Amino acid sequence: MTLLYFLTLFPLVPALGMLLVRGDRARDAVGLIGSGIIMAVTVVVAVMFFGTGPQSFEVAPGTSHVLSIISSVIDVILCAVILYNAYKYRNALTTVLGIVQLVGSLAFAAMTLPAAEAVIATPLYLDYMSVIMVLAVGIVGSLICVYALGYMKDFQAHDEHEAALRGQTAPDRRPQFLALMFLFLSAMFVIVTSDNLEWLFCGWEITTVCSFLMIGYTRTPEAIKNAFTQIILNMLGGIAFLIGLMYLHVNGMPLTISGMIELSGAGTAQSALLVMPVILLSLAALTKAAQMPFHTWLLGAMVAPTPTSALLHSSTMVKAGVFLMVKLSPLYAIYPVTGFMVTSVGAITFLLAALMAISQSNAKRVLAYSTISNLGLISACLGVGAPEAVWAAIFLILFHTVAKSLLFLCVGTAEHHIGSRNIEDMDGMFSRMPHLTRLMMLGIMGMFVAPFGMLVSKWGALVAFAQTGNVLMIMVLAFGSAATFYFWGKWLAKLSGVDPTAQNVEVNVHKTEWMALNTIAALLILCCVAFPVISSGLVSPYLAMVFGRVPYVIGKDAMYLMVVIVAFIAVVLLTSFRVSNKPHVNVYLSGVGTDNYRHFRGSMGHEVKAEKRNWYSEDALGEKRIGPAGSVVCCSIILFALLCCAWIGPERLAMSAPSVLRGKYFEGSGVVGIFIGTVAFALLAPLVGGLIDGVDRKLSARMQGRVGPRLLQPFYDVAKLLRKAPASVNTMDDTYMACALIFTVVGGGIFVSGSNTLLCAFMVTLAAIFVVLASASTQSPFAQVGADRELLQVMSYEPAVLLMSVGLYLATDSFDSIAVTGQSAPIIAYSAPIFLALLAVLTIKLRKSPFDLSYSHHAHQEIVQGVATEMSGGTLAKMTLMHWCETVLFLMWVGMFFVWDNPVSWLVALVVMAATYFVEVLIDNTFARSTWRSCFKLGWGVALVFGLLNLMPILVDVFI
Amino acid sequence: MDHKMSRSPWVIHYDGSSCNGCDIEVLASLTPLFDAERFGVVNTGNPKHADIFLVTGSVNAQNLPVVRQIYNQMLELKCVVACGICACSGGVFRDAYNVIGGVDRAIPVDVYAPGCAVRPETVIDAIVEACGILDQKEAVMRAGGDPLTVGGAATWDGGVELGEGGFVAAGAGADDAPAGTSAAGDAPAAAKEGE
Repeated sequence: MTLLYFLTLFPLVPALGMLLVRGDRARDAVGLIGSGIIMAVTVVVAVMFFGTGPQSFEVAPGTSHVLSIISSVIDVILCAVILYNAYKYRNALTTVLGIVQLVGSLAFAAMTLPAAEAVIATPLYLDYMSVIMVLAVGIVGSLICVYALGYMKDFQAHDEHEAALRGQTAPDRRPQFLALMFLFLSAMFVIVTSDNLEWLFCGWEITTVCSFLMIGYTRTPEAIKNAFTQIILNMLGGIAFLIGLMYLHVNGMPLTISGMIELSGAGTAQSALLVMPVILLSLAALTKAAQMPFHTWLLGAMVAPTPTSALLHSSTMVKAGVFLMVKLSPLYAIYPVTGFMVTSVGAITFLLAALMAISQSNAKRVLAYSTISNLGLISACLGVGAPEAVWAAIFLILFHTVAKSLLFLCVGTAEHHIGSRNIEDMDGMFSRMPHLTRLMMLGIMGMFVAPFGMLVSKWGALVAFAQTGNVLMIMVLAFGSAATFYFWGKWLAKLSGVDPTAQNVEVNVHKTEWMALNTIAALLILCCVAFPVISSGLVSPYLAMVFGRVPYVIGKDAMYLMVVIVAFIAVVLLTSFRVSNKPHVNVYLSGVGTDNYRHFRGSMGHEVKAEKRNWYSEDALGEKRIGPAGSVVCCSIILFALLCCAWIGPERLAMSAPSVLRGKYFEGSGVVGIFIGTVAFALLAPLVGGLIDGVDRKLSARMQGRVGPRLLQPFYDVAKLLRKAPASVNTMDDTYMACALIFTVVGGGIFVSGSNTLLCAFMVTLAAIFVVLASASTQSPFAQVGADRELLQVMSYEPAVLLMSVGLYLATDSFDSIAVTGQSAPIIAYSAPIFLALLAVLTIKLRKSPFDLSYSHHAHQEIVQGVATEMSGGTLAKMTLMHWCETVLFLMWVGMFFVWDNPVSWLVALVVMAATYFVEVLIDNTFARSTWRSCFKLGWGVALVFGLLNLMPILVDVFI
Repeated sequence: MDHKMSRSPWVIHYDGSSCNGCDIEVLASLTPLFDAERFGVVNTGNPKHADIFLVTGSVNAQNLPVVRQIYNQMLELKCVVACGICACSGGVFRDAYNVIGGVDRAIPVDVYAPGCAVRPETVIDAIVEACGILDQKEAVMRAGGDPLTVGGAATWDGGVELGEGGFVAAGAGADDAPAGTSAAGDAPAAAKEGE
């Protein structure tokens, strides 16, 4: 109890210290000691929590009353601050809203403060969710404060330099800035530990005003404009919150979260009335979590110094919004209209923000859209109100907090040292800022690559949606994930480029910055590795407490496998581990290259540099095009939900959500089984794959009226490649390629051992990422164009592959491939449309296609071979082997649709696999080539249409 | 003898300064009528992948460094085939002011395939011949020897390099030894300016 007070109030001490002390050294000392103590106290709170378990804290009525008065006074002061700024900058709308809020706050205070019964006996609590948030805020938030100490020195120096050029002086507002950051932490602690909604609201408003002041830090016209956008949107949410509180009070309902949940179970006329406050509080949470149509404030917040963005995006502010929704999530299942609003707004935001992120080249803007998109996914999960979905949401919150703060801090440091936050300028960063870039790559991988936590959470979301039969959400997730893959992947590829001519520019990064960056990176790996423990120690108990049952989303063995793989990737990326000591050769530039960094002798005799830019598709995915449409749709959804509450009687809205909970079996074959499967696959797949390749070349030759090569030609080719003299354009590409091969083989092993097909699909994607890294790390424009094509290709086929797993799940109630052998009919009987979609993308994946600069060995001869351009000898052999393994694996996916509990079915499956491959060869040799854009449209089109077609029955199922 | 190398001859094709007659015939050897893929021939278009370098046309000042750079970016074991009489000796253009001569003025040539234009059968024959040299090179290398003692490199005079006042014959100095030692195209000094 005392500790809780201390935790909440202590950050005010360094905040005050910042205002009082002068000089960099003193500030550093105050910041470091303050942050250190906050972190220590957070850890102590967590440790003590594990001793006592979840508890509520009683506060003496007198004290509680005084605290309520204080929080009301703070609310009024905050309104005064807003009104002062609104007056100072002559902002009419803010003034109006400020006055409304001031009147509201005063009225609410007048209502509650005199009433003795309004004093809540246990206004504070600490449960599993609070502890997760306390740890996130305390540790990550404090580290961001530490980072800010160094960052703001550079920032101020830059400002003073600019001002000196104009003949002015730059005012030093750093004390206020740093003080605000600590105040922010204090407010967050209030939010996550207050059961009393009145106090929570006070913390809520403090964060709003703090971020208003921080966004406006530079006082440039743009900063001021964006600060006002933020305050206006968040005040709308704040006013909704306030109205919700008044509604609760007027109707005699408890002003606590726990009270609301208790009441909702009563099933009385009064409990039905809860729907209104729940929807108002959710609306407030959606504004805070920057969901469409309120997302613009978070984009605008990018003008602030980077620590602000890091703080707002990762551990605080937006997380306050989703935290409130986590708390309300049990109610969403009871009041479906509220769940509908939250899920739909979240889902639309998730998909559209991910698409808009593709069109952005500004690193901070990409990060902003990815935050909005992730928060959308979190909201969508929470709106479902089932423990599986909430499990996924909590992990999304956790991993997003850590990975995103790391990324923001990295971008901030990079900006000060390379002078740009444009992703295009991050060419060769791998050599210019070696350590920072590796941390950044780790952060990006943490955001989207299997099996880092983020992807595991998405998996959880997919399972939850499949279990609750939420078809539209499955589709949104499949496509949103593919878009996410693309925009992260192309950034990752850009970073990985090795530039041998580069100067190392990271030598003068501040020590405090390194301290924060390294600690957060370590935290990220720790979270991924300790993820099974976090799940069983914190998240599952929380869900058991709130929902009364523990969700079962991922088999234990799959979890352990993921932990091993994360550790493996971290080792490859972060250590100076090299398998390559090959002689160095320069990249291929058509015989006219002049160095190893894209310079060549142009036709006019002078040196020219080849440039390669990313693909943005601004015309189709630009924010001007998608943003307004999304806002309109989300606005309508919110209005619809509000009108429902107003027009339809509350008692009719309080019914449980229509959902069919499906069975769940995620047993797989265990780690031992997967290991045996992997070994078997590693031995057999290359043999079978090579043979298939030989038959393929022979068949293709026959179709063209040729004799063709020997049947075993592919094996001769690989044997030859292994005998070539070793050489490499950089030290990384062979390592990356080896990883890709390993991941493909493990993916195949997972499938043949009868384990989880989702995990299998993710391993294939992971392998694709490493192929992209291998080719993007070279400075060859050919290879990098190939890497782009590879990413586009993955984006095209990814949704259909995810839907394949969902099709399996619908037919067998399991994601395990072994489940088909227990069925009385082949799953093609249930999932024919999805099967067709898979066939369509198989052509894209395995055969010649407009993506053929990616690594298919069917790539057009005579054209330089894209991804493989710089690979030679053993590296190229690895890629060929990987391609064979993938061919075998993809054909097995096809075969899976035709296996049931009859032994004969295996033969049927074999015949179908052979027929499928023959058709693919035929298509390849007879059809004219199309453009990659049309292929991309085909990939997404068939997945969307056939996927929906296939999944529709479940949607209807619910109502029958 | 081990035939691992000769079973998978991947080629790269470069046009020096030909009339394109030989280029058409080189590509014709890959078409259904002649079907060089029977022998495993794949046209890779990439020196990092290829084992056999098919050069058509003569060498001049513009393409001398290009030919050398492509050759140097090919990894051992590798072979060079001069396709057509221009590539062999300069052909009818050998006295032209800008023509230096055949491909062996730039890089060591292992197989000369004459003809104007070279016939596809000759090209395939030359590739098969080059395959034999690849196998010999491999045998030498596996025995611990230097692959450059086999084929055209063994007797190559170093070709020419671009001097101040025009082309000069490369001397027999150590710097001008062809194509490095064993691996990864350590450029001969003559080709350095092309890198």
